[in-house]
Amino acid sequence: MTALKAHALRKRFGPIAALDGFDLEIAAGEIAGLVGHNGAGKTTFARVTAGLVLTDAGSVQILGIDVATARARSLLGLAPQELALYPTATARENLYLFAGLYGLRRRHAHRRVGQLAEDLVLGDVMDRRVRDLSGGQQRRLQAAAAMIHRPPVLLLDEPTVGADPVTRDALLATVRTAANEGAAVVYTTHYLPELDTLEATLAVADHGRILARGDRAALLATVPGHAVVEFDCLPAALAVSTYGPVEIRREDRRLTITATEPAAALVPLLAAHPDATAHLRGIELRPPTLDDLYRHLVRS
Amino acid sequence: MTRPISTRVMAEVRHQTVLIARDPGPMIGYVVMGLLLICVLRPLYAAVGHILGPATLLGTDQAAAGMAVMFSLFALKVGAAHLLNERTWHTWDRLRASSAGFGEILVGKTVPIFAVIVAQQAILFGFSAIAFGLKPRAGWWALLVCALAWSACVLLLGVGASTLARSPAQLSAAGDIFALVTTVLAGSLVPVVLLPGWLRHLAPASPGYWALDAYRNALIASPAQLVRPLMMLVVFAAIGVGISALIGSWPRLIAIRRRSLEVVRKP
Repeated sequence: MTALKAHALRKRFGPIAALDGFDLEIAAGEIAGLVGHNGAGKTTFARVTAGLVLTDAGSVQILGIDVATARARSLLGLAPQELALYPTATARENLYLFAGLYGLRRRHAHRRVGQLAEDLVLGDVMDRRVRDLSGGQQRRLQAAAAMIHRPPVLLLDEPTVGADPVTRDALLATVRTAANEGAAVVYTTHYLPELDTLEATLAVADHGRILARGDRAALLATVPGHAVVEFDCLPAALAVSTYGPVEIRREDRRLTITATEPAAALVPLLAAHPDATAHLRGIELRPPTLDDLYRHLVRS
Repeated sequence: MTRPISTRVMAEVRHQTVLIARDPGPMIGYVVMGLLLICVLRPLYAAVGHILGPATLLGTDQAAAGMAVMFSLFALKVGAAHLLNERTWHTWDRLRASSAGFGEILVGKTVPIFAVIVAQQAILFGFSAIAFGLKPRAGWWALLVCALAWSACVLLLGVGASTLARSPAQLSAAGDIFALVTTVLAGSLVPVVLLPGWLRHLAPASPGYWALDAYRNALIASPAQLVRPLMMLVVFAAIGVGISALIGSWPRLIAIRRRSLEVVRKP
């Protein structure tokens, strides 16, 4: 079931097209990693989805309801990129405010606040003022405020910026739990390894539109990986060239082969130079990472 | 999941009350200064009574009403600062993204601020009644109506100021200047009849002038004479609302216009 559907979004800020035909669909229970460089349109998309910015064209629907309505807003949990908490109120008071704004009954709110405090390791600091919390604790509290009403769609805009490893682990685990309970999660980030941890699908944004969308493994299969071959001494006769989609780079006593299937490209190369195999010390295969995928997509 | 509007408004009212309670310094200051100045200025206003004539506030009446107007104008700055904080803390967008509507958020935020401004005036008049025997001729209810109207006017002007200001420092500077100019034109410190001629002509342009006029009528005249100054306060309150509505809806109006142009351009 499609939980979030953005169709042909366009938004200009003066001469800049922040969104330029932005399409994205996310199913219930799916975590979609929305990645892209600064200015790719991630935050504008988040603000449009939260009903904070009107688009020039296109539509966003949450469970089939247009985001301009209060009903749609009640179905969305938002953790914006910048901290949006009351520094002079305690962590607990902040959470009770958002629980109330989403119409949670007192008893239900009490239970939910307690649960999120435990999940996000905030139990000891709930009665401290937000301004006295560490950056990581504030980040976790911001995520808790987004999840307080168990929204079917969660929009987390770079929730782990500046977060320490403990904060990051707690956040990722809680996001995973929310998805397991059926929430569709849009997770924008520059830390691509987090998307591996979350087992997220990918949406790569650039210049206000989605460049690539789908399963990580399928997308990664289109990106060249590397095979690094080390020799005792590199025979001068060993051809170092680029043929077809295979790129070979020679460096000291090492060859780096870049190809969609680098191992397959290596076999004919070594077969053509049997003398080289006698000097072979080791082969290291480096599969493409999400960083490679992102660079590859943006370059191409 | 959603509950009646009252739940959301009450959540915001509770939260705003907490925020005000956490930072009571400025409001306490404006009450204490008001009380002090009532004590200091009361004999002065009594002494100049023969110059001012019977239709003018004298003694305790002038001191209490003048300080109520003056320090509620300074309280405007405090109220506006609470609203501006929402922008500097980035919480305003977070509230708008919740299921609470714009009106619910605004009501929830302004009700506690309104209550504080009313309480400030109640303390100043209450103190004047207990310590110096102030007694409104039109009745306490008339004074209460004036206090409620003036507090609402101050609050809505504060809402307008919070949308105009870009930073707390800007709000503080502009708020001080506005409060002092309005106080002077109101005749809160120096009765209007003693102001230089050109200032006397400008005085009706100040909302404080009409607030003091309303208090004067409640204290020494009849309820019937409250109508005109109260109507003028409504006008000033509408100006405050108009400013905030215009500034607040500007980006939305631009977006709607752009959308309509897109529709026109499509074949």
